[in-house]
Amino acid sequence: MHSIEVAPGASNSEAQQVLDSPETRSHPSTVCLAGAPNAGKTALMNALTGGNFHTANYPGVTVTLSRGKSKAEFGPQLLLVDLPGVHSTSAVSPEEELSCRVIEGRHHSVIPDALIVAVDATQLERHLRFASLVARQHKPMVIALTMMDLLPRTQQSVNVRKLEAALGVPVVPVDGRTGWGAADLMNTLRDALASPAIGHSALADLPEEPVSAYESIRKLLTGSEALKNTNRFQLVRDSVTARIDHVVLHRIFGFPIFFAILVGLFSSIFWAARPFMNLIDWLFSQTAHLLLAILPAGVLSRFLAEGVVGGVGAVAVFFPQIVILFFLMTLLEDSGYLARGAALVDRPLSYLGLHGRSFVPMLSGFACAIPAVLAARTIPSRRERLLTIWILPLMSCSARLPVYALLLGALLPGAAWKAGLALGAIYISSLLIGALVAGLISRLILRKRSASLLAMEMPAYRKPLLKPTLRVTWSRASAYLRRAGTPILVISSCLWLLSNFGLGSHQPATAENARAPLIASSNLDHSFAADLGQVLEPTLHPMGVDWRVGVGLISAFAAREVFVSTMAIVFHVAEDQDARQNSLLENMRAATFAGSSQRIFTTSTILGLIVFFFFSLQCLSTVAVVRSETNSWRFAGLQLLFYTGIGYVLSSALVVSLRLLGMD
Amino acid sequence: MSLLDALHNEWYRVEGVAGPDDERRRLLDLGITPGEELAVVQSVPLGDPLVVMVRGMRLALRRREAGWISIQ
Repeated sequence: MHSIEVAPGASNSEAQQVLDSPETRSHPSTVCLAGAPNAGKTALMNALTGGNFHTANYPGVTVTLSRGKSKAEFGPQLLLVDLPGVHSTSAVSPEEELSCRVIEGRHHSVIPDALIVAVDATQLERHLRFASLVARQHKPMVIALTMMDLLPRTQQSVNVRKLEAALGVPVVPVDGRTGWGAADLMNTLRDALASPAIGHSALADLPEEPVSAYESIRKLLTGSEALKNTNRFQLVRDSVTARIDHVVLHRIFGFPIFFAILVGLFSSIFWAARPFMNLIDWLFSQTAHLLLAILPAGVLSRFLAEGVVGGVGAVAVFFPQIVILFFLMTLLEDSGYLARGAALVDRPLSYLGLHGRSFVPMLSGFACAIPAVLAARTIPSRRERLLTIWILPLMSCSARLPVYALLLGALLPGAAWKAGLALGAIYISSLLIGALVAGLISRLILRKRSASLLAMEMPAYRKPLLKPTLRVTWSRASAYLRRAGTPILVISSCLWLLSNFGLGSHQPATAENARAPLIASSNLDHSFAADLGQVLEPTLHPMGVDWRVGVGLISAFAAREVFVSTMAIVFHVAEDQDARQNSLLENMRAATFAGSSQRIFTTSTILGLIVFFFFSLQCLSTVAVVRSETNSWRFAGLQLLFYTGIGYVLSSALVVSLRLLGMD
Repeated sequence: MSLLDALHNEWYRVEGVAGPDDERRRLLDLGITPGEELAVVQSVPLGDPLVVMVRGMRLALRRREAGWISIQ
């Protein structure tokens, strides 16, 4: 294999953390699962560990090194590490680099004692070529033969015993999705680990150079009669996959089907998640009330109830949407459609300097930018990967939804359908503006066009199985929680402290105050957040809003939807007793600048705020994830300044020019 | 001729693979080697990429990549 220098940022910190722990180095033996993308490797990992791992039918979805212990029923425990799929040892993505490093024994903490190579039985030549690169390491190895159920569809048959004899390496047929053959595989692996001498095998002695390697593999397969290909050339027209492809990649119907699937995906994210979101909202507010009730009234109880529980709750309500997005994406991946979607949009995306594989991150970005940034790891070229990450904050994530709902409600009172249309326009614009930004950057700044290779496998269509899909959904969703949870907790705690403490503020911890639903009113006026808001007030003038909205904008950096709860606090507080009875919308409409009768929320300022939220990168969790994925504070910082700056400038320009045109 | 001139669902033999070193190597690694048979099985609505069947795999290739592959 080629030696590949590791670019900075190529390794991902999460995998590193997981793997740096001391057990990896000592006993039990470390067994790595390797294979070409889509070989069914990760499903196998699931079967062997009984754990939750990411498995999908979209090439290259193993985005981290996941590891687990083998199930107890397979005897003494082994440590299993799932490596990202490797297509080739040249022109590789960071993931492939990582796999190559581990396989070649160049990784600093994961050193395999043995390897399982997943080999797709329907594509023996290609997968055995990869297996031969692994065999050259002369480590104990077992070939796990997957996709046996698809053999009849491709009119081939494989004789496992003959294959084993021809390769000189143990071969065990398995089905990772059902667990069939897993026990057999583990026994064979144990035998391989126990036998000390690892001699030469026909597989290891295959040439490294691809052309002669493929020639030798074919000779090996036909000479030994391990593979019978009854009708090699017929499968083009008649296979199930070909027939489905003719419909979903149809010249006329291809795009309508694609858009119908996307619309279905998004509408179910919003509609199906609603009841769960209400439930989570209720649970968090009950918990907050309970904490206030049982803990002695004071700063600590309010900090826990409002800062921690309230802050985390504001973000946790989006979790159902993310779970549903992951579930549907996993279904699409497992069925094989997602790779087609990526192929469909490759042309327009590559025109913008992106890649067909940018499609999945962009799609996820409409739910949440954090999993989207993580999904960008599968994009092979660094330039395209960074450009994709750069535009992801523009995708209209679900945290913006409550903000838009509030602002559109204020802008277009009493006409739900108008607000709905406007929301649709905002979503489509976010995609178009994202395309514009990507196109401009790739043409003007990254002028050197090193077009990358697409060469993307279109896997055979398979019916997804419910249980593995649910397992994968849960593993991705919980990984998201772990990843995003900490920054959200830290940021919302900090913001609570900022909004509740200030120079010379006293903490009146009366019982009534403590039970106020969110941040207690009397503190806000004298808090650091208010100070900050008042310092910022001159800069808010062009946007036509006062410091109270400014506090909302600052608090929205914890998560955009926090803007809504902050508005609820500041505008209940500022009004007289009667206004407390009014709804937030009415309060906002009635709100005026201090000491004048000029209203704050007018057509122009609301439009300005919508534009601000459209562009601004008000999500410190995203900044943190971008930093860790790009390994660059500069990139993340620049992105934050770029979008927040654009948001501010465009929003101010809009408000000023609308006012010049005579709009209030 | 190049793969771009191939009729759909007809088998051709690969004559050679050109292109920049890394990309050429990757296509060879994927099994598009001289002497191997392949067929264009599907085009995508915008005409790019093409879906090629080679060594039992469906592979989406951009027209630019397909242009590097000469066939007979």
